[in-house]
Amino acid sequence: MPAAANLTFASSSRPDGANREPVFHVRGLARVYGEGTAAVTALRGVDFDFFRGELVVLLGASGSGKSTLLNQLGGLDSPTNGTLLYRGWNLGTADEPGLTQFRRDAVGFVFQAYNLIPSLTARENVALITEICRDPMTPEEALELVDLGPRLDHFPAQLSGGEQQRVAIARAIAKRPAVLLCDEPTGALDVHTGITVLEAIERINRDLGTLAVIITHNAILADMADRVFTLSDGRIVNARTNPQRGSVRDLAW
Amino acid sequence: MSLLDRKLLRDLIALKSQALAVALVMACGLAMMVTTRSLILSLDSTRDAYYSEHRFTDIFARLKRAPHAVHEQLAAIPGVAAVQTGIAVQVTLDVPGLPEPAVGLINSLPERGEPVLNRPYVRAGRLPLGRTTRGEIAVGEAFAEAHGLKPGGSISAILNGTKQAFRLSGIVLSPEFVFEAPPGAALPDNKTYGVFWMPYKELATAFQLYGAFNNVAITLAPGASEGEVIAAVNRVLAPYGARGAYGRSNHPSHRRVDDEIRVLQGLSVAFPLVFLSVAAFMTNSVMSRQIALQREQIAMLKACGFSNRQVGAHYFKFSFAIVIVGVLFGAIGGIYLGHRLVEMYHLFFRFPQLDFVLDARVLVSASAVSALAAFAGVAGAVHRAVRLPPAEAMRPEAPASFRPALLERIGGGRWFSASFRMALRNIERRPIRSGLTCLALALATGILIVPNSFRDGIAYVIDFQWDIVQRQTVTLTLVEPGPARAIADFRHLPGVELAEPFRYVPIELRAGPISRRLTLQGLPERGTLSRVIDAEPRQLTLPARGIVISSKLADILQVRPGDEVIAKVLEGHERELAVPVVGLAEDFAGMAAYMELHALNRLLLEGDRISGAHLVVNASRWSDFLHAVKNTPRAAGCVIKNSIRDGFRKTTGESIGLLQKMYMMFAIIVAFGIIYNSARISLSERARELATLRVLGFSRGEVGAVLVGELVLLTVVALPLGLVIGSGFAQGILSSVNTETVRLPLVLTADNYAFAILVVAVASALSAWFAARKLADINLVSALKALD
Repeated sequence: MPAAANLTFASSSRPDGANREPVFHVRGLARVYGEGTAAVTALRGVDFDFFRGELVVLLGASGSGKSTLLNQLGGLDSPTNGTLLYRGWNLGTADEPGLTQFRRDAVGFVFQAYNLIPSLTARENVALITEICRDPMTPEEALELVDLGPRLDHFPAQLSGGEQQRVAIARAIAKRPAVLLCDEPTGALDVHTGITVLEAIERINRDLGTLAVIITHNAILADMADRVFTLSDGRIVNARTNPQRGSVRDLAW
Repeated sequence: MSLLDRKLLRDLIALKSQALAVALVMACGLAMMVTTRSLILSLDSTRDAYYSEHRFTDIFARLKRAPHAVHEQLAAIPGVAAVQTGIAVQVTLDVPGLPEPAVGLINSLPERGEPVLNRPYVRAGRLPLGRTTRGEIAVGEAFAEAHGLKPGGSISAILNGTKQAFRLSGIVLSPEFVFEAPPGAALPDNKTYGVFWMPYKELATAFQLYGAFNNVAITLAPGASEGEVIAAVNRVLAPYGARGAYGRSNHPSHRRVDDEIRVLQGLSVAFPLVFLSVAAFMTNSVMSRQIALQREQIAMLKACGFSNRQVGAHYFKFSFAIVIVGVLFGAIGGIYLGHRLVEMYHLFFRFPQLDFVLDARVLVSASAVSALAAFAGVAGAVHRAVRLPPAEAMRPEAPASFRPALLERIGGGRWFSASFRMALRNIERRPIRSGLTCLALALATGILIVPNSFRDGIAYVIDFQWDIVQRQTVTLTLVEPGPARAIADFRHLPGVELAEPFRYVPIELRAGPISRRLTLQGLPERGTLSRVIDAEPRQLTLPARGIVISSKLADILQVRPGDEVIAKVLEGHERELAVPVVGLAEDFAGMAAYMELHALNRLLLEGDRISGAHLVVNASRWSDFLHAVKNTPRAAGCVIKNSIRDGFRKTTGESIGLLQKMYMMFAIIVAFGIIYNSARISLSERARELATLRVLGFSRGEVGAVLVGELVLLTVVALPLGLVIGSGFAQGILSSVNTETVRLPLVLTADNYAFAILVVAVASALSAWFAARKLADINLVSALKALD
């Protein structure tokens, strides 16, 4: 049994602010793909701390390293160098079963392409996850949070893009994750539908105190964040804190 | 090499394990076809050449004794091209190193010159020819090999009551004895039965037949009618104790080879076709998947100006490449197995030279069939792919639409886990493919039933024949039928505890136009040693009137109990009698008919006579007994049950054992190939779905379960279906082996079923495991990427 499997990755129930231990503690994080002359450096040493209840937006052009960073945070890939701690636990050196357990308990993913299982209904797609984690909400509760209550028993092929993405969000949050990682969540959606989806993410972040990390190349989303990091060529080139988080409705589309 | 061909090569390399699985299944079918068809060709052509070179005759007749002058009468029959008369007698042999006596059939060689018809082939040494040659004998190769006899060695035989030692002059073969075994035997027993040749004068003198003959061989003139000549021969020989002439189709050795060819013909079509159909289905599923994966590439090719025909040809080449590999493996495998089986045939059939002759035509036609199957398998998918306008093909395929499975719609849904539901719905969304996969798995299960049903059938025959029917230790036959009081002499042999008499008489049994020649056995009405057993199996009591025949014989004659048959006695006073069939007995070799001993003797009008006796001999006095028998002049034959049984076991072990292994290997390849391929295709189609599950926190094992769930379900449905199909296969194949000389009962045991299930389950588990191992290669990050 790997050490990590004994850890509880579920989010802390302590109120926001009472606990300033970072959810992610990252120092000098680097990722190099390949070796020798073929080596490609995707991350060149980044430092930050992310905290519970925060909504962070990572901006950057394609190839800037933002997806690589998200993969590191989600336990999909391991760094070549540097420190990557999740609540003090070293994610960078974790083994495969440990990473699987981490993803299962702590992380909710939202993908640009939704990635729903086509043979399962909305409710079942969510239930698939609630069956395997420790303290989930019911699929119905999760779908209610994204305003999909009435479309519970529809298959993905019967849902619109926005609806599919909201099912994906419900699936991500049903486990009450500590972290919600969203990769271009509105990339495939029109503006109107994108707003609905972002509202759902914002609500989860606010109501459940989940750390939400959104990567996007759409700078407009920066206004809804607590903090905004801009990446370029594998480095953080700009970090700012918004004095006031804007609501999704007020974003300047 | 064009760039498109280079792409083909690289795609093939990427798909190598699946392509190999398909090619191997195809190769199994081809190998089986090539092996069996080539063996048929080998046996047929070798036999034809042997027959014509050594002048195998067309008509044969045995009689008691006819003077030489009758030879001219036979030669004068219209339609007779050549006649050879001589002597053939059965004797008891004393072989060095063999405790029991063996039976020898000694044939005479002409007084002057070499035999003209049925000419022996001399393997080593020479024939004992010449008027003055004495004390020399040539031996058949099978018997010589079984005893390690060499020219220059010696052997003793009891000739008409006098034991004589002979020097072995040579080892020979004869077209008359390709199958060197007593008439009616299904398998040779070369330890206790052999064929010999010695000079006419010496043999005839010993049996007081000098100047006469008891054996006739006739060659027909071109265009002559066999039936008419046989009738004429019978008329000529009638006064001389003739046993009825017969043609090649009734010749024991010829018929046995024919039966073997018939068995091979049965195996050469149906089974290979099953394999080739499975291979076609597999080609279809692999290629459909490949084409679906290359949808965008196809669109690109078309957008760049490649014609539909070029694109179509590219994918056909792909499947033909698989066929080429399959044909290559199939040909190599078929030739290898053919050689092994030819070696096995040396156990049964003695030719001067039996070489494996590759039936190249079958290789060509089988390749064409495979190519056609592959073509049919791919045509649909290629057609769909090239028909798609490039712009549409460039877009990813629309998401698959699903609905709740039937089981859920009827209310079973709430007990199912999500992964079980996914499996059910996937199966239902593609009913044809699921059905075919299921059928292929069932076929794989079914194929496994066949070889073990051979094994179980043989075990049953052994038990039936030597535990239920024959319970004697030994069977002694007299030189010629003697008075019933001879049984007393047998009882006085050392160690004999029980003796039961029997009378054997050659007859021809006829019902309407159909007739068969066989030995009618007269037995005590309810014997304890050699018993008449029905299919139940239950002992039958022989009534004072009527005849009991084997059910196979009843089938051939198309009679049932209650019908009458005509029995023509072929020995002594020739008589024809109508006798009612009073019962059906079971047997698995040759054809038998039984009558109560006294009833038979009344019919023969010869008084109380016996041909020999079945004996139970005390084991502690076994060697005394054998010694006494070897020195009993009147005993012409001594058959020891255990050595026959051991010989049978050994021969079937070597022959059917080889077939069993061969079929087993094929069945395992198919089971493995189908399952591995299905798992790989499923893996490829659902890679994104599975990667997503991994990202969402499913462990590799859990995702593996989702992947194989569908296959497990299909396997569970396929297994019982496979058992039914397999039983049908076994029945079908055994009925093709159901010949007049050999039969195997259909015995299906729980062990056999359990084994088939186990193999398919293990093959499924292993190949699913291999496929699931590929899960490790799934790129988790790919799930995060957008589809476009």
